[in-house]
Amino acid sequence: MALVRNWQIGREMSYWYPENRPKKQFAAVFDINKCIACQTCTLACKTTWTSGKGQEYMLWNNVESKPYGCYPLGWDVKLLNRLGAQEWDKASYSGQTIFEAAPAGERVLGWRPGERDYAYPNVGEDDCAGSVEKGASLQVPHLIWFFYLARICNHCTYPACLASCPRGSIYKRQEDGIVLVDQSRCRGYRECTRGCPYKKVFFNPLTGTSEKCIACFPKIEQGQQPQCFVNCIGKIRLAGWISKPDQARPENPLDFLVHIKKVALPLFPQFGLEPNVYYIPPIHAPKSFLHQLFGPAATEAVKTYQAAHSDADLAGLLSLFGCTQQVVPAWKRDGDFIVGLTDDAKEIVRVPFREPVHIAAPFDDKHQVARVNCP
Amino acid sequence: MQSLRSWSIAAPGILWLTALGCTRPAPPPPSTTIQMLAVPKLPLDPSDELWKKTPEYSAALIPQDLVDPRLMQPSTSSLRIRALTEGSHVAFRMEWTDETENNRSTPNEFGDGCAVQMPSKVKPTIPAPQMGEPGRPVQITFWNAAWQAVAEGRGDTLQDLYPRANVDHYPFQAAALKPDSPEQSEMAKRYSPARAAGNPMSRPPGAPVQDLQAEGPGSLSSLPHTTSKGSGRRIEHGWAVVITRELPAGMNEQPQGQVAFAVWDGAHEEVGARKMRTAWIPLVRPEKP
Ligand code: SF4
Ligand code: SF4
Repeated sequence: MALVRNWQIGREMSYWYPENRPKKQFAAVFDINKCIACQTCTLACKTTWTSGKGQEYMLWNNVESKPYGCYPLGWDVKLLNRLGAQEWDKASYSGQTIFEAAPAGERVLGWRPGERDYAYPNVGEDDCAGSVEKGASLQVPHLIWFFYLARICNHCTYPACLASCPRGSIYKRQEDGIVLVDQSRCRGYRECTRGCPYKKVFFNPLTGTSEKCIACFPKIEQGQQPQCFVNCIGKIRLAGWISKPDQARPENPLDFLVHIKKVALPLFPQFGLEPNVYYIPPIHAPKSFLHQLFGPAATEAVKTYQAAHSDADLAGLLSLFGCTQQVVPAWKRDGDFIVGLTDDAKEIVRVPFREPVHIAAPFDDKHQVARVNCP
Repeated sequence: MQSLRSWSIAAPGILWLTALGCTRPAPPPPSTTIQMLAVPKLPLDPSDELWKKTPEYSAALIPQDLVDPRLMQPSTSSLRIRALTEGSHVAFRMEWTDETENNRSTPNEFGDGCAVQMPSKVKPTIPAPQMGEPGRPVQITFWNAAWQAVAEGRGDTLQDLYPRANVDHYPFQAAALKPDSPEQSEMAKRYSPARAAGNPMSRPPGAPVQDLQAEGPGSLSSLPHTTSKGSGRRIEHGWAVVITRELPAGMNEQPQGQVAFAVWDGAHEEVGARKMRTAWIPLVRPEKP
């Protein structure tokens, strides 16, 4: 075990290998408030990567309804139970990570899902946290709530899948931080499916090896965003590159949202993996639940998001989501437009701050016909 | 580097000749050596009559506890071994108690297995018993019950593992692709990453064994071709498996070689590093007639 710096938990922690950050780290921001659970992302991934034999049950991308949805079954609560109650000391996590809580003879604290756990991908779909009582009223946070959590592999800075593999068959690419299973080296020990707390590695029973989300690296290599990003109906996703907090650059959209505005947060930072998908928490879910999922910074993140209407930069940048196939490494606001830029400041996309609104007259004089939108 | 002595088993050895198929007595105490019996031709079938005439030895199994992940709960405690040679190859018959047959490899089911390990080259100094060490490679032949089931005819579809599974369509079933055509298999391979990468794990070539080599824990790699043979059979209360493989280089120049064994109990979720293993056991050539 080595000592490494994990900025998400505000301290050093033990990890199986020494700190070895890639030159660039693939990262994403998902705005939970905008997801409609249409599962287009799930299908986009499924048809691109996992429609072969032995991959039938695999969902490298899945969208589950919180609080009850989970794929595989209980992926989060089973590990939280094993880890037990843990504490944050303000922004620093004083509890144990899954590496620090590893039992004797293990590299990480984990569990391995079985067939039954993979059998109910839609469990809890659209189920509310409770039932609507008489006299209930609408307020924020909602009394009765649920929200959609879209999940892919987090291409973690400290991957538990990688640490778990006794053969070193999982590697993290230096050029982009994408975590991959070497398909020629894997011997199907399923230590990674046990170790990954997010359960984003899957065993293929017909090839005898484990497979996982590859962040559509052939697209990333060409400067394009992955399939689940560009097909997202809700335009909730933005792919890019994340810096360490002390090297954050405001012109990098990911740095701006994560480090400068602190509006997007990692999922279960307390597990200790420094996951690189950052979520804008849902504004209508209770604080305690958001703390458990995203750490104590969730309350502030929600406030920042709610105040985005009076923050032109933040509101503007949020409208860049889902507007281009290309990865946008830089951005700027140009009056009423948000501009996505390449590294050398070439324009990729220009999005109006507010979509222009045109109101048509109820009666079309030219065609002598009423404009109605119902039969 | 370890001397031969320090890796040998210290317990006194007893040579056993037991008729196969009868009610088994308790396993004999661990043997200090395994002596091969010379035969003209090696049998592959674990129930071949020849095995009844072959001396039986016993080896104690201990949990792999050198590297994480370790096996924290010991399982299979001992292994009965018989060894035959026709001069260039050796055949081991391994038998152990395992009440549950596990021959599936799915997200959380593991095939029962066993392995034979020998130094790649027999020398006076011998490699570390846990998978060798850098510069002192070992050769390993691995048998797995899931591969045995495939060798015995279990097919290569989801329905062979889950008979009631229903799949609408695979891309390689597109109408434009003629069934069983090279184009179709090429397409199927593209959707089967480990096969496309040529990983021998992804579909054993009909044999239930695989030849591998290692230079220490975590370094196991498959040899380009598996020349060893194997065959496993369920017996009452366990498995009997025969592995035949080439004797390592130098075996005929040294008074004796070494062999080590490992056993995986699938029901106990044993896989990879989570296994029961023996120490090195001296492997002695047949006495000259
Ligand atoms: S989310 Fe899981 S599979 Fe992905 S890098 Fe992290 S530990 Fe590995
Ligand atoms: S495509 Fe977008 S909106 Fe639809 S479920 Fe996926 S993340 Fe949510």
